[in-house]
Formats: sequence, C-alpha cells, structure tokens
Amino acid sequence: MDDDDRVFKALADRTRRLLLDRLFERDGRTLTELEADTDMTRFGVMKHLRVLEEAGLIVTRRSGREKLHFLNPVPIRLIHDRWIDKYTEGPAALLADIKHALEDDQ
Amino acid sequence: MSVTTGTTTQIYQVFIKASPEQIWAAITKPEYTARYFHGARIENTPDQHLSHGPDGSIWADEKVVEFDPPRRLVHEWRSLYDPELAKEPASRVTWEIEPRDGGYCLLTLTHDQLDGSPKTAASVSGQGWMFVLSGLKTLLETGSALGAN
Repeated sequence: MDDDDRVFKALADRTRRLLLDRLFERDGRTLTELEADTDMTRFGVMKHLRVLEEAGLIVTRRSGREKLHFLNPVPIRLIHDRWIDKYTEGPAALLADIKHALEDDQ
Repeated sequence: MSVTTGTTTQIYQVFIKASPEQIWAAITKPEYTARYFHGARIENTPDQHLSHGPDGSIWADEKVVEFDPPRRLVHEWRSLYDPELAKEPASRVTWEIEPRDGGYCLLTLTHDQLDGSPKTAASVSGQGWMFVLSGLKTLLETGSALGAN
C-alpha cells in the first residue's frame, strides 16, 4: 500500500472524516474531547485515530500527561496537486498566452 | 471548554525523497526558497532569519533560536509584509528533519507560540504552510537545481 492508498483508505470512512472535521474546527484535541463528539467507544475512536495517523493525516504531540491530535492537511494537498492542478494549468497557461500576445501587439 | 495549548499550535508533516542536507539547503538558502516560498528570498544563519520579498522589501528579520544542520532549525516569526500582522508579537517556527528508510526524510514544521497572534495564526494556517511545504517537496523531488548536491 503506498501513501496515496493510505490517505484514500483513511478518508473512506464517515467517522474518520468527522474526526478530521473536528480537528479542522479546533486543532490539538485530546482523545477524550474527540470521543465526546462521536457515539463510539474510546477503543473505537483510538482505532480510527491510528488509521488517520498512519496515513499522515494527523500528527500527535505529548503535552504533559495528555496526547494532543493535530490535523495535517499536507497529504490531501499533495493529492490535489497531483490531479487538480492539471486541470487548472490549462486556463492559467491560456491567460498567460493572451497576456503575452497583447503585450507583443503594443 | 478550556483552551488548550493546541489551539495556538499548528503542525505540518511531509515525506520528502531527499537527503537531510538537501532539505536543509532548501530551507536555509535564498536561491532555493525563492522557488517555493511565495518568491521570498530567505536566509537562515545561526544568528538571523532574514526574508526579502520578490520586490526586495523586508518580509522578516527575526532571531534564530536553534541552528543545528541538517536536523533542526528554530526561528522566530513575524509577518512584516502586512502592517496588521507585523503588530502582533513574534511566534515560533520549528523545522525538524528526520531521515527515514528508502531515501526519504520526514519534515515536520511546527508553528507555535501563536497565543497573542490570532491574525498571524489565521494567515499561515491551511493554505499558507501547506502551499509552501508542497512546493518544497515538488522542488526537491522534481527540481533539477538541488539534484546535483
């Protein structure tokens, strides 16, 4: 399984997307805080968090006795760059061409 | 709900297929930062974090707290390119480079001590650092400039 596989697999679950949404709203939450937002058991939430961490979508940090969870959006950005940028290159390149053509006319 | 330190800390991670030395060069030398950091020419030395925008104006002139090539760089951050942001107190940016298997490194960027700087926090979050880090990865993995060394 490569990195993209792990990201897509992690995102292909409603609870895990919900956990990412919660971290987007406010980063650096503890397991207890995240657990309160779902109707899952603590163990279930831990399992989902582990999948997200393995996919690189969350990063954890110890703060005293607590483990804080942070959203890492970079892997999603990289997927965006890989495919979506290919579509936006067209119009951007076209605009650049028009600009050059207009400047050449002057 | 009580406010934890987490709300004023942002952490970003990315795997980059490059050596620690290459990544270190890419984040400390202006000729490389200009190619992925919004055109800013950034020079990090043991004493100073100095950034010039593409128009030559000073975007940052801050203290370097730790300078440990090619593993760890900690510097203060203030966004001098925007008067509103420049008024906020300095925050802190930490770059950590950890070698991993297969010629990869894990680069972790932590932007913290943002407690008194909500506008700065909002401006660098999400698209801000993400754009810089994905650009850095692309430069190192596909750019020819750093390939040689």
